[in-house]
Amino acid sequence: MPPVSPYRQARPAAANFEDLIRPQVEYLYRLAWRFTGSVADAEDLVQDVLLKLYPRTRELLEIDRLRPWLAKVLYRQYVDSIRQQARSPIADLAADGDAEGNPLDTLPATRDGPEEHAERSAWRERIIAALEQLSPEQRAVVAMHDIEGYKLEELETILETPLGTLKSRLHRARQQLRALLPVEPFFVGERVKA
Amino acid sequence: MECRDFTLQLDDWLDGRLDTFRERSIRQHLNACADCRRRHQHALAVQAAVRELPAPIPHPSFVEQALARAIRGPGAGARSTRRRLVFGMAFAASVVLGLALGLFLAMRPAPVQTVSLTLERPETVRLVFNSAKPLQAATLSLALPENIELVGYDGRRELAWQTDLNEGRNLLQLPLIARGAVKDELVARVSHSGSSKTFRLRIGVNNAGPAGM
Repeated sequence: MPPVSPYRQARPAAANFEDLIRPQVEYLYRLAWRFTGSVADAEDLVQDVLLKLYPRTRELLEIDRLRPWLAKVLYRQYVDSIRQQARSPIADLAADGDAEGNPLDTLPATRDGPEEHAERSAWRERIIAALEQLSPEQRAVVAMHDIEGYKLEELETILETPLGTLKSRLHRARQQLRALLPVEPFFVGERVKA
Repeated sequence: MECRDFTLQLDDWLDGRLDTFRERSIRQHLNACADCRRRHQHALAVQAAVRELPAPIPHPSFVEQALARAIRGPGAGARSTRRRLVFGMAFAASVVLGLALGLFLAMRPAPVQTVSLTLERPETVRLVFNSAKPLQAATLSLALPENIELVGYDGRRELAWQTDLNEGRNLLQLPLIARGAVKDELVARVSHSGSSKTFRLRIGVNNAGPAGM
C-alpha cells in the first residue's frame, strides 16, 4: 500500500475528494449506466454514491485500488436503490401526451453524428432491450465481467457473492441474452472478434 | 462429448476456465458438430455485441454539479427558496409540462420533454409532479442551462430546496427568461429517503412570435 501523503491529509477534504474522485466519475457513470440502462438513473446513482463518499474522504485516501472499491460502493448503492424503489411512493415521471419514449433519445450525442446515431440506434436498442430483461444482479455481473473485464474471483469481493453463484448467474444471463437476441445480424463476420 | 456437454461447458470455455483435457475435448466436438459451431459463433457474437455497446459519457455539466453537490452535502439549499418558487410567481404566458407517474427507477428513463420560450420574454414553465402518496421533505433541485435564467435569481444556475409533495398533482411554476440559444437541458431532480430521480427538459428559443410547445 502506498504511503499516505501528510500533505494530502492536511489539505481540505474537498480538495482531496475532487482530486481522487473527479477522474473516476466517468467510470462510475459508465458502470451505473450499464447497471441501470438509463442516463437519468445513472446520474442519480452516481450522485447518491458521491454524496456518501465525501464524508469518507480520509478513508478514500488510504485505498490502494480505488476503482474496484468504488465499483463495490456503486453496486451496493444500486442494490439499495432497487430495494428502496420497491418501497418508495415516488414514481417515475414518465411523460404523458406525445412525448418521445425512446431511451436512446436521452443519450448525449457526443461521438456520433446524426446519421451514425440513427444507424446505430436500432442496433443499440435491441441489445439494451435484451439487457433490460435480465435481473439487476444478472446485469451487474454481465456488466462487470463481460464488459468491464473483471474476473469472477474479483467479483466475489466486489459484489460480495460466492463464486459458484456468480458463475451460475453469469451462465443464466448469457443464456437469456442468446435467447433474446436473434441470430441475425450476429453472424455478420466483422462484428465477431473471436 | 455430447452437444449437451458442449452447451454446459461453453461459458467456461469462453472464459478460459477449462483445463487442457476438457478444452481439447470441446474442440474435437466443435470440429465434428455444425450445430455446436453455430452455438459457439452465436455466443461469441452476442458477447461481442454486449461488450461493444457504447455507454454514454456524462453530460458536460454533470461531473461538476455532482461533485459540488457531494461536497455541499445532501439537502443543500434554502427552504425559503421553495416558497418563492412555488407560490410567489405568476406570468401571463405559460407553458405546461405535464409529468405523470410510472415506476421509480425504471430501466427506461423519463422521456425528455421539450418546451419553447421566446427570447427575452419571461414565461412560466409549469412542472406537474404526480405522487402516489404524500412525501414529507422531498428535495427538489434545479440546474439551469446556460442562457436560461429564473426570474428573481439572476445568475443562479443551481437551486435546491425541500418541500412536501401532496398525493396527486403538485405544481411547480418556473418563470424563466431565455437570454440566448440554449444547448443544454434544464435538469430537475426529486430526492426522497435516499433515492432520487432526474428529469430533463429541452428548451427551444424562438426569436419571434408566441411561445409554443
